[in-house]
Amino acid sequence: MAEKRINLNTPVVESREQRLGTIIAWDGKASDLSKESAYARGGCGGQQDGNGCRLCEARGAFTQGSVCSEQMVECQAGNVRDAVLIQHSPIGCGAGQVIYNSIYRNGLAMRNLPVESIRIICTNLQESDMVFGGVEKLRQSVQDAKERYDPKAIFISTSCATGIIGDDIDSVAAEYEEAYNIPVIPLHCEGFRSKHWSTGFDATQHGILRQIVKKNPTKQEDLVNVINLWGSDVFTPMLKELNLRVNYVIDLASVADLEQLSEAAATVGFCYTLSSYMAAALEQEFGVPEIKAPQPYGFAGTDAWIRELARVTHREELAEAYIAREHAKVKPRIEELRTQLKGIKGYVATGSAYAHGLIAVLRELGVEVNGSLVFHHDPIYDSGDPRQDSLAHLIDNYGDVPAFSVSNRQQYQFYGLLQRVNPDFILIRHNGLAPLASRLGIPAAPLGDEHIAIGYEGIVNLGEAILDVLAHKKFHQDLAAHVKLPYKKWWLEQEDPFILSKEPDVVNA
Amino acid sequence: MAKKIKQIAIYGKGGIGKSTTTSNISAALSTMGYKVMQFGCDPKGDSTNTLRDGSYIPTVLDTLREKSKVNARDVIFEGFNGVYCVEAGGPAPGVGCAGRGIITAVQLFKQQRIFEELDLDIVIYDVLGDVVCGGFAVPVREGIAEHVFTVTSSDFMAIYAANNLFKGIHKYSKSGGALLGGVIANSVNAGYSKEIIDDFVKQTNTQVMEYVPRSVTVTQSELQGKTTIEAAPHSEQAKIYKGLAEKIGNHTDSKTPSPLEIAELREWAAKWGEHLLRLEQQNIPQDKLAVNS
Repeated sequence: MAEKRINLNTPVVESREQRLGTIIAWDGKASDLSKESAYARGGCGGQQDGNGCRLCEARGAFTQGSVCSEQMVECQAGNVRDAVLIQHSPIGCGAGQVIYNSIYRNGLAMRNLPVESIRIICTNLQESDMVFGGVEKLRQSVQDAKERYDPKAIFISTSCATGIIGDDIDSVAAEYEEAYNIPVIPLHCEGFRSKHWSTGFDATQHGILRQIVKKNPTKQEDLVNVINLWGSDVFTPMLKELNLRVNYVIDLASVADLEQLSEAAATVGFCYTLSSYMAAALEQEFGVPEIKAPQPYGFAGTDAWIRELARVTHREELAEAYIAREHAKVKPRIEELRTQLKGIKGYVATGSAYAHGLIAVLRELGVEVNGSLVFHHDPIYDSGDPRQDSLAHLIDNYGDVPAFSVSNRQQYQFYGLLQRVNPDFILIRHNGLAPLASRLGIPAAPLGDEHIAIGYEGIVNLGEAILDVLAHKKFHQDLAAHVKLPYKKWWLEQEDPFILSKEPDVVNA
Repeated sequence: MAKKIKQIAIYGKGGIGKSTTTSNISAALSTMGYKVMQFGCDPKGDSTNTLRDGSYIPTVLDTLREKSKVNARDVIFEGFNGVYCVEAGGPAPGVGCAGRGIITAVQLFKQQRIFEELDLDIVIYDVLGDVVCGGFAVPVREGIAEHVFTVTSSDFMAIYAANNLFKGIHKYSKSGGALLGGVIANSVNAGYSKEIIDDFVKQTNTQVMEYVPRSVTVTQSELQGKTTIEAAPHSEQAKIYKGLAEKIGNHTDSKTPSPLEIAELREWAAKWGEHLLRLEQQNIPQDKLAVNS
């Protein structure tokens, strides 16, 4: 590797926009976005500094809603089974504990693990802590965490408040790491540090790489890291066909699972948005190869993904047999689904790389996809390898998406985006936007289980999920007939959802 | 590549002559063959002016304000004799948070591994005033500077600021933070100024690196937008700066200081006050007494 792209020497992770040139607002054709992005597709000519190119980002006049990097730390570091997360923050940052507890409990149940509640402690910083510094409270909380839970690791997340006053969290962490002889890991995730929440994923992964992952690994040639969230266990049966074992991280993993990340034979993920940083760093620091292939969605993606995984782990023959078997198995059912879904229009509103995968699956099923909303766009991933260009893979194999928008969960825009393409259903994972679709009479398939569309079986699963949501069409139409949206007539009649960024003066008119 | 970069922070009360001293040290070190970067940590962004003919350079934070992504190389400017100049910059007076500004600027440089890439020998942080908040403590924390020097005159307020800095160093010394190299005694012309500073370093368990007299050469050089090293390389004052730079270049072992408690400091100052009063009553001519104003 020519150059080290990831810097693990400093406790603070570099933000996504700084590393990858991430944007949060854009509107146009998917093919144009792909051209403007950094992978070797011509376009803007790019900066040659390896950090992605500078896309023309749309600038919004205001933000109606978003998510914080710190919440991504909660839903990753907070979901490590035998660890504790301490939020060093005012209590407001702790509001997410409620939803993340429910997700954690559901995830444990889905994976047949003992169901328990999430272990997050908030230091509840107050006025005097802001003035005099909050590290004494943090010390107290670290001691409490140790006493109550005897964890295998303690994560400490920072907050905007502690970032501004400059609380020295690193020193407290180092002090207790020595005293307790367990990793005590500061995660620098101040909300203001990045415009996109996915920097929070990177912050968690950065801390794990620095302080938990084994530095002198004993290789396990049949172990594959799967970087995911809390989805159902679809990778074990798939990888078993290649005589490979799964190491799921970070959510629902144990500290021991995280330690052995450096021992694996390869790293994969369900979405490059999530896995980019960890996978690239594991390759750079410990020589664990990241699978550089399209993501495992649809036939083309899954075939290429399995072949690359098999090549890296030397299991080519097993892979070919498995591919042939699976094709034969799912094709008849997919043909039926294609007939049932003929003429149906779908819309995908999810995280960036995940959307690229889901659109591919919809097109395998013959569903028309004219529009999609992604919550951010990374012009490049951390490996910098063009084989991971998931957007180009989509366009090259399944065609363009005419109305492809980047918008970080702005309800007011989502209304216009849906009006433009008028879909029969939407695929969505994040709460907040789905109810708006329902009120417009459009049923939403809430993909709570992020693994639903993975692999060959995933094509069938997603087809069936769509048939299920289409059955709710009448209910949604009734809902739409009785709902009044909160927007003014002017906005409801507005054709361009991005008008406020193009002509900011209309707001003052 | 594997060589160790010497990272130094210079603190002191505002207006005490920190930037003047730091720039002269940087310039002198560069003439001795060291590759030096001077990193100004003051919202005014004027630490490196005399290394660049009196001109201001775009600061890290100004650049960050304009675009979300900053390449650290874009905010490094070469000054006198190849000294790399960087200004962290910061908010306008009365708004925002200058301390956070320092955190942001320093992190940016660390993440982009600039110091290693430029193959530097010495990085000098010139840090505004007192350790008033967490942000101003960043250069003395773990992993940034190893050695701290403080510039002080014999003024009580300057010594108070130095003592506060010692408290900051003392606090972080247990967690791998920077240690104290010593005191740079500035504007020591009157005989008693030297005595006061000597007594202070004795009380706080540190040392004086150099006594730098107030000199019109420095003023003349600065009016030309230059360091004394550049404008008057053969002057007596330049010789003093070179001597200081040499000591800093060779300096290896810093220590944890023993700052005075606030009551002790007041008592100590009061004793000196009485002493000076007695000297005055003994009819010492006024000009010998003048504490620099």
